[in-house]
Amino acid sequence: MISEKLGKNIKQLIGDSSGVMFLIGLFLLVIFIIMAVFAPYIAPYSPIKPTGAQLLPPQVGHIMGTDNLGYDVFSRVIYGSRMAFSIAFIATIIAAAIGIPTGLIVGYVGGKLDSVVTMIMDSIYTFPGLILAIAIAAMLGQGLINISLSIAVVYIPTYYRVIRSQVATIKSELYVEGAKAIGAKPKTILSKYILPNVLPSTIVVLSMNIADAIMTEAGLSFLGLGIAPPTPDWGYDLSKGQQFILQNDWWLVVFPGLAIILIVLGFSMFSEGLNEYLNPNIGEKR
Amino acid sequence: MKLKTYILTRILLSIPMILIILTIVFFVLRVLPGNPVLAMLGPKAPPEVIHAMEHQMGLDKPIIIQYFVYLSHIAVGNFGISTYTSLPVLQELLQKFPATFELTLYAMIVAVFIGIFMGTYAAYNFGKPVDIFARVYSIFVYSFPVFWFGIMLQLIFGVWLHWLPVSGRSAPFMIPDHIYTGIYTIDSLLNGEFEVFIDTVRHLILPSVTLGIVISSIFVRMVRSNVLLSLSSQYVTAARARGATEKKVLFKHALKNAMPPILTIMGLQFALLLAGAILTETTFSWPGIGNYLITRISYRDFPAIQGAIVFFAFFVSIISILVDIINAWIDPRIRY
Repeated sequence: MISEKLGKNIKQLIGDSSGVMFLIGLFLLVIFIIMAVFAPYIAPYSPIKPTGAQLLPPQVGHIMGTDNLGYDVFSRVIYGSRMAFSIAFIATIIAAAIGIPTGLIVGYVGGKLDSVVTMIMDSIYTFPGLILAIAIAAMLGQGLINISLSIAVVYIPTYYRVIRSQVATIKSELYVEGAKAIGAKPKTILSKYILPNVLPSTIVVLSMNIADAIMTEAGLSFLGLGIAPPTPDWGYDLSKGQQFILQNDWWLVVFPGLAIILIVLGFSMFSEGLNEYLNPNIGEKR
Repeated sequence: MKLKTYILTRILLSIPMILIILTIVFFVLRVLPGNPVLAMLGPKAPPEVIHAMEHQMGLDKPIIIQYFVYLSHIAVGNFGISTYTSLPVLQELLQKFPATFELTLYAMIVAVFIGIFMGTYAAYNFGKPVDIFARVYSIFVYSFPVFWFGIMLQLIFGVWLHWLPVSGRSAPFMIPDHIYTGIYTIDSLLNGEFEVFIDTVRHLILPSVTLGIVISSIFVRMVRSNVLLSLSSQYVTAARARGATEKKVLFKHALKNAMPPILTIMGLQFALLLAGAILTETTFSWPGIGNYLITRISYRDFPAIQGAIVFFAFFVSIISILVDIINAWIDPRIRY
């Protein structure tokens, strides 16, 4: 549905600033997706094998230099995109898979269940997400699934809130009342009448969420709670690179950081453009 | 509703919220896989030692009893004893807290300053280069990982220019003689120790600017959109019709009326500020609670980890209560 809508209006899209933003975001994302998918073909070296002298500044053969173990920084930046994408996607999917159904059911049922669950969700929502993720990650330990889970918990309330508030309004619409009147089961009403109407708004939340999840993941691995080394990971590489900045080895921190910025920028511009396009009346959401 | 009643209701309403967070923290730290005793002693510890340790920490009791013991301890301010230093966790936290408070306070000042000025001018010059700059600034800076930005500033101002120290809260022997508040910028001035004050400020600049700039991206957006809204309102047109100067229109009418929503949003960003503070403290080896939490995680000091997170929960709740009260005080319409 969205691709159809976009295809029709590409011309109009380029016309205004949100369209430009959307396209720049899309461009950045495509680059990172290519990087992640074709990492072995793009990266000149293995990211987890010494490939040259240690701490070489950027030069021919190592365009982003090498780190203290002689790993090629460029190759690690390329491969790092895989970790960023996998964790962000898994975390976002888990969060959506829990948050959306909970929001649907609770919003539909309403009453006491609604006040209790909403209060729990609001408490998690107002608590600093990174701190919660740190606590969970500290308990679960390193690893792809563990980190994704820690991040997912933080974003469940985001989906819950978006879905619940919409379900609460939609459920009193005439067509839902009508479905109820002809004896449709709650399950049918939720899946056939309500869900299709609330899903489009979550697409924007989903894509904004991936940006946040990438940022949180980078933060966790910067703090040493992410993926176990030597798996290439931007946040971890940054924290390791920081140890060498006093001797001016800037390339260890500049490049992984730029990768994080560009991918987050890509997702936020993409989702912001998408948001203004899909929900022109909502305006500033964050 | 009177302001006093509002304040009381607001405080009462936050109790279930705090309870929920405490329960979640308990659940995360006790029920999730990852036995704290095993984590502390290592997988090769003999079973007798493990049992003794579990007994000592009360972990052999049923989980529901553990839960109530945990709640009752927190209620009386007993955060347990650190397994790393053998000191009461609360005492350690209170000792670290002023550093975190000082950092977040100055970061907030930086963020508010940038947010209000850039946001207001951007709104006033809607669509002009200033506005475009502000929009690009907020989008870009929002994507900065706070630790990366901190490292960049360390590199530029510490390593390349040698202007500012890159880590710590003060140089050796540059701590205020008498500690009154624990906030070094205030204590050193109270003591009349100007050298210490200068040293403290020099250490404070990079971390607080790092955190402040990253947070300011959201403030710029919020101030801009709220001032835009109030600039198009009738009271602004009326003020202009009365012949008020543009400066007065902008700051006295447009900005002032846009303030309540801006304040609320700034209050809401406090959680983000705290999360940023943890990363900033780690980046700059700033001896606050964030740094404490991360260090103790690496030592597997569970009472300390739990204490630090509970402490953050209380801090966030208190700030959100304060923000609501200030809002209600400024704007009498906000009372329910």
